[in-house]
Amino acid sequence: MAQIFPKWTNQVPRKILIGLIVVLNAIIFGVWYFFSPEYTDVGYAPEQPVPYSHKLHVDQLGLDCQYCHTSTFDSKQANIPATQTCMNCHNQIKTDSDKLALVRESWETGKAIEWVRVHNLPDYAYFNHSAHTNVGVGCESCHGRIDKMEVVYQSEPLSMGWCLDCHREPEKYIRPVDEVTTMGYQVENQLEIGRELVDKKNVHAPTYCQGCHY
Amino acid sequence: MNDLESTDRQMSEEVKETTYWKSLNELANNKEYQKFAEREFPENATELSDGVSRRGFLRVMGASVALAGLAACRRPVQKILPYSKQPEDVVPGVPLYYATAMPVQGNLVGLIAENHEGRPTKLEGNDMHPASRGGTSIFNQAAILGLYDPDRSQSPLKNGDKASKADFEAFAQSHFANTGQRIAFISEANSSPTYNNIKEQALSKFNNATWVTYEPFGEDNVVEGNRIAFGGRLRTHYNFENADVVVSLNDDFMSSTHPNSVEYAKQVSSRRKVTDTDGEMNRIYSVEDSFSLTGSYADHRLRLKASQMEAFTYALAAALSTRINGLSAFSGYSNEFSDHKWITVLADELAANAGRSALSAGSQHKPEVHAAVAAINNALGNTGSTVHYLEVPHLDEQSSTEAFADVVSEMKAGNIDTVVMVGVNPVFNAPADLDFENALSNVETVVNLSDYVDETSLKSTWHVNRAHFLEAWGDGYSFGGARSVIQPQIRPLHEGLSEIEFLKTIVTGSIESGYDLVRDTFRGYYRSGFDNRWTNILHDGIDTTGNFNDVNVRLSSGFSSAMNRATSNISSTSGMEVVIRPDATLYDGRYANLGWLQELPDPMTKVTWDNVALMSPATAEKLGIEEAGAGQDDYDVVEITVNGKSINIVAWIQPGHVDDAITLTTGYGREGIGRVASSYIDYTAGGVDVYPLRGTDNMLYASASVSKTGDTYEIACVQDHHSLEGRDMYRQASISEYQENPDFASFATVHTYEVPGMKEAEEMGEDDGPISLFDEQTYPDHEPQWGMAIDLNSCFGCGVCVIACQSENNIPVIGKKEVKRGREMHWIRNDRYYVGDDADSPQAVHQPVPCMHCELAPCEQVCPVAATTHSDDGMNQMTYNRCIGTRYCANNCPYKVRRFNFFNYPKEYLTTGDDPDIIQMAMNPEVTVRFRGVMEKCTYCAQRVNRAKIEAKNETGSPKPADGAVKTACQQACPADAIYFGDLTDDNSEVAKMKRNERNFQMLEELNTRPRTSYMAKLTNPNPALA
Repeated sequence: MAQIFPKWTNQVPRKILIGLIVVLNAIIFGVWYFFSPEYTDVGYAPEQPVPYSHKLHVDQLGLDCQYCHTSTFDSKQANIPATQTCMNCHNQIKTDSDKLALVRESWETGKAIEWVRVHNLPDYAYFNHSAHTNVGVGCESCHGRIDKMEVVYQSEPLSMGWCLDCHREPEKYIRPVDEVTTMGYQVENQLEIGRELVDKKNVHAPTYCQGCHY
Repeated sequence: MNDLESTDRQMSEEVKETTYWKSLNELANNKEYQKFAEREFPENATELSDGVSRRGFLRVMGASVALAGLAACRRPVQKILPYSKQPEDVVPGVPLYYATAMPVQGNLVGLIAENHEGRPTKLEGNDMHPASRGGTSIFNQAAILGLYDPDRSQSPLKNGDKASKADFEAFAQSHFANTGQRIAFISEANSSPTYNNIKEQALSKFNNATWVTYEPFGEDNVVEGNRIAFGGRLRTHYNFENADVVVSLNDDFMSSTHPNSVEYAKQVSSRRKVTDTDGEMNRIYSVEDSFSLTGSYADHRLRLKASQMEAFTYALAAALSTRINGLSAFSGYSNEFSDHKWITVLADELAANAGRSALSAGSQHKPEVHAAVAAINNALGNTGSTVHYLEVPHLDEQSSTEAFADVVSEMKAGNIDTVVMVGVNPVFNAPADLDFENALSNVETVVNLSDYVDETSLKSTWHVNRAHFLEAWGDGYSFGGARSVIQPQIRPLHEGLSEIEFLKTIVTGSIESGYDLVRDTFRGYYRSGFDNRWTNILHDGIDTTGNFNDVNVRLSSGFSSAMNRATSNISSTSGMEVVIRPDATLYDGRYANLGWLQELPDPMTKVTWDNVALMSPATAEKLGIEEAGAGQDDYDVVEITVNGKSINIVAWIQPGHVDDAITLTTGYGREGIGRVASSYIDYTAGGVDVYPLRGTDNMLYASASVSKTGDTYEIACVQDHHSLEGRDMYRQASISEYQENPDFASFATVHTYEVPGMKEAEEMGEDDGPISLFDEQTYPDHEPQWGMAIDLNSCFGCGVCVIACQSENNIPVIGKKEVKRGREMHWIRNDRYYVGDDADSPQAVHQPVPCMHCELAPCEQVCPVAATTHSDDGMNQMTYNRCIGTRYCANNCPYKVRRFNFFNYPKEYLTTGDDPDIIQMAMNPEVTVRFRGVMEKCTYCAQRVNRAKIEAKNETGSPKPADGAVKTACQQACPADAIYFGDLTDDNSEVAKMKRNERNFQMLEELNTRPRTSYMAKLTNPNPALA
């Protein structure tokens, strides 16, 4: 009796198996990478109603973060400044710039400027700015080099795993409190200084759920 | 091993001496009950077969709904809207706290409002205000829901059609230009000096005007009684702090329905804070018909029909007249109670504690009863010490009950052109025999100011929507006479008018700002330095000057003859009587649309969403009423007829109720005022209106005929839900037993053997509890360790902890049908147990049960996804986003404190309601809103704990907040200060002290769950003469 299947079919099950493994791995890798905040969120740079340039104001003019974001050390929220803050300078400088039309309108009418939120945590994560700034977590540790951004974008994934990287080993990231707003802060012996600061500031970053979720 | 076996035997042979039971079924312990109790949830509770009808569900949610997270897969675009001009003091993310005050039946209770970026979200008591002293009542807590109720009236109505504020202003200007017209003003009780100034202006401008105050449960009889006794219309204000003996004659002064309940509860409970065996307690007697909260807190309780209270009072006065001077009006008098054991005991006790006792009577009893009570207090020398008589400037000069009846008859006769009603709803709650609705139809123009488009608004020519007290400036006095300003927290959501602005518009024809009116009043009080004083008053929430006059009273000359007339003409009923009272959760009906209060179980019956006819077991037997079986919800309906008017209502067997009497509560059966209050189509709830049975001659009680109709009705009662099945959960002793044996509450004393496993642990050198199969967690030193102690000697069961928790933690209201299935979501429940085997007259005790935060938590052991775990600061934490809804944890919780979201209760409403934005505003932004399929439970207010930890860390460098810096919502609201919460690593913290007290015990200690929440055993102070 002639053989029904040619000889090469002997290899089919093996090939299917290998193929399946490859495909499954690809799917797993794909989900792991492409569905993660690292891929989906990092780089998010929505267009803002007023083309405010952090690069210009921070890098070139040298404004401190806290000139505008005043509640960073006092509140869970680092506030977006009131129109009034813009007008402190812009009632004298660039008073007829087209880019600032919305700011002037807001100042005159009292209507808020509708900024688009860039750094968005889930509703069940209760992040508190003051708890971090007061122990020496730098602005740039989470927000990146804001001073180099023409348009603000999200530079870190803000995922829970990313949070825990620091909560588990704060000494790798922590800096003196007076350097919190410094952009481009770098020391050679970070681990050594970090450990000292962790001791000094009595830092025990919670890693239990209710530290952030309640 | 032998030891363990003998322990087992001991456990099984153990005989319980005291019986604690929640329902008659539990007392009978029949098979049905056992089967019911074995289930974690009642039958069908875990089935999703018939989803809640969407429409029915929406109706029931009302404002009680939460803000749901945006559950989209795509990244939501959120906008941030900063201020244009930054207001002073506002730091986004940091709540501000402002003092304000809530008018309750005209009397202010000082409150502190938590305000998030201009949005009030939570009300707390004001420590500095004498009527609050930091505590609140259920009505104070629920007021925040009232503010955001989407069913509130949102615009003025002219003959039922929408109109604008300007339209009303124009109408007021033209209509009230005729100053000669015959106007009747019908107002709620209002203590505001500004309001009363405008009232004077109105009465002088309209020379044919009459003014009456109408409150369905006002204090008129008390005031009239004091007039009979002392010749002046005075308010009785107690100071129970000075009272060693308190006797209540049918006066439920601790329940939220009393206008000064918070202050009184603080005072009474402060005298029961026993910290060691040298401690002393006051002694409370309660004589009452139905089981009240005060009665359940009393050391001795006597069942007596409301109609007999008058004779009882006179008999007591007569008995006292032989012991003390000043009661000659009663000497020689006797009646059927004169030989009653209690009369002798009370007379002896009061006489022995002259000057340190307080006698009070229920405000709805006849003026003569109050006159006798006032005379007794005065003769005892209690005046000035435990009782004060206050001259209250805003009280009417004549009896307002009579004045109201007169005005209604004038209306009927067509002698009134215009009726102006401020905050009253007489079409719903006026005495039925006055036929107010009919009288109103004879009046040409009817103007009405009310919160809702209510029964009266529908009959009015003009309805004006009223501003909530959190929206408008106001002022007023507390019950005891402390003056405050009501500071608004938000601009009126619906452009409503306050009663001050409304009345001023009628007088002047133009709308003026309430702020200016109130400021003008206060400017009148101070010749100099007004601005500073005003700022201080706003900051503190209280004006320390300008209290009521405390009057030195003397018996009036006419007292004797008045009492002679009264004693020879005692009204009483024979046979069955019906007593009508304000409802413990809805009061007179004004809070009927607040879902929190509808779903709050009645403190004694534990019935939700309905009112019932309370009767004693003996009366029920006589009427052929049977208790529905455990887990059954069909209850017998009775027909009650008074003066030819009948209602059908569910009969409810209330252990401890007096025989041959039925107690009904008001406030239910409202139609059309809102989604929550009205009965809704696919499921009946909302109760029965009992006002038709109430007439001017029977404001409190009436003879009635009662018969069983044969119908049944479904009731959602939670008394058998979350049953501890008679295990050892409550401990109490008399104070003398405590002095003899301070360790009466310890496990070893109660069970006669030590906690199982303790000896083995000691042998192994462990000192932190019995041996355990589970790994014990180690807690880092730098973290505080939270714990709670609940003093059962203070708790009197009002339920404000439940409402405060609901407000703080965004707990949804789920509706009658869901409650019936045992799905109620309250994180803290208040168990009420009857004690003893006598179902006719048992003792009743209350036990609040939140999550115990066990160190060896059984729930944590069974969660397959580690959604419930332990935190470093010792809390049993619930991580909603990990929960997959197996409900294993709830099944394994011996305390039954875990709650499951069977439906997406909050989200249903958010996406479909007609005004979702408003509802979202009531939510606490610091607490996650839970999704369907998620378990939840008490978190020890983790959001408050974390806030305090972060603040402490920022300020002091240590994450251990100072003692008292964190108060849980239940603790803060409690008017009896029954709840202690704090850091157990701090030996000096209040809670640590309580835990070291010998009265401290753990619920179900033998399970070795090591709960962080423990209880302080209750003490009673019985009179040996009544033992």
